[in-house]
Amino acid sequence: MITTLKFQYEPDEHEAEKASNSYVMSMVAIMGGLPMPVINLIATFFFYLGNRKGTFYVRWHCTQALLSQLFLIPFNSAGFWWTISIIFTPETISSKYIAYMITLFIFNLIEFVATIYTAIVTRKGQHVEWWVIGGLTNLICKA
Amino acid sequence: MKKILLELVLTIAVIVAVWFGLSQVDWMKLFNIRQTTQNTEEKIGDLFWKMLKNSETEITSDSIVAPIDSILIRICKANSIDRKKIKLHLLRKDEINAFALPGNHLVVYSGLITSCENEAELCGVIGHELAHIEKNHVMNKLVKEIGLSVLISISTGNGNSEAIKSALKQISSSAYDRKLETEADLTAVDYLEKAGIDPEPFANFLYRLADQSKNLPSQIYWISSHPESKERAEKIIERIKGNSFPKPEGKDSLRFERLKEKVNKGL
Repeated sequence: MITTLKFQYEPDEHEAEKASNSYVMSMVAIMGGLPMPVINLIATFFFYLGNRKGTFYVRWHCTQALLSQLFLIPFNSAGFWWTISIIFTPETISSKYIAYMITLFIFNLIEFVATIYTAIVTRKGQHVEWWVIGGLTNLICKA
Repeated sequence: MKKILLELVLTIAVIVAVWFGLSQVDWMKLFNIRQTTQNTEEKIGDLFWKMLKNSETEITSDSIVAPIDSILIRICKANSIDRKKIKLHLLRKDEINAFALPGNHLVVYSGLITSCENEAELCGVIGHELAHIEKNHVMNKLVKEIGLSVLISISTGNGNSEAIKSALKQISSSAYDRKLETEADLTAVDYLEKAGIDPEPFANFLYRLADQSKNLPSQIYWISSHPESKERAEKIIERIKGNSFPKPEGKDSLRFERLKEKVNKGL
């Protein structure tokens, strides 16, 4: 799911710190933003805006952090509105709903662990690309 | 680009597969959710019924209960609904009202029976309340209007009598939202059709009571708690347009007239 690759150049200490911070930012926002998953997306988006004129390494990782947040948004939103409909409409709780919530939990957990791992390795100046998200970032973010 | 798309499709497929796989487990049974919900519902329903029974007069005469019960049996049988789970109660009260309580209690006031011009009208109202029970509208309404915490405190015996009274008032004399009322009407039409009963008198009943309620609003609870009655009647007529139903026989209307007489005499 996560591949460590060689980046085009060796990022310096300052760049590694900023790139790592983009992942830390989304993690902190997850903790602060639960149960509204959109808050971490907004936080990561503002961090991305603040760094879009940064060096290529920083920009690349800010973009990957933002896209990683975007990826689960449709799934989390569906779960959120399903819950709301159970509370406020005749829709009732079902095994399908519980299964969906467990699925969401598993994939959000995977994303959370991957975010922590990526924050640690990018801090060391290593370059990691996520499954799907890494490829998309390469398409969007050009040197 | 192709590689990314393939990875994306694969990831979404994995998410859906995990969801599908987990859906095969009966989580409701595993977490005992249905049982807990049913227990709460039954406790609340029994409590409401006990309160009603203490404040109103229950009709227990077989000559009145049996014909209403036979209507219920007919609708339930034709729609594969377990009759045994429905707790039918008749109360002596002039208000034109019928309502469903949590825990499958179905309450019919004598005022409703005497205000119906024929059996099919009463069948429509019973079908409508049965639909509220079957579609789980009752608990949904209570949760929405008085809140889950109050309901839980009532079911655990910690609710005060004022809270119970107010919840009972909500369920017996206020409307469900328009979407639920329409759903109950159309489900009732389905029930009636399957039972071979013409739904048109049900629509007529709504029309008639909507007109009467202008003069006697406080008596006609069922209609005042079910707004937009004319609009609802039109929807029923629209739904059954072109369908034909067996006309009631003379002996049926005679039987219903006798039932009304007995209710009026207080037998």
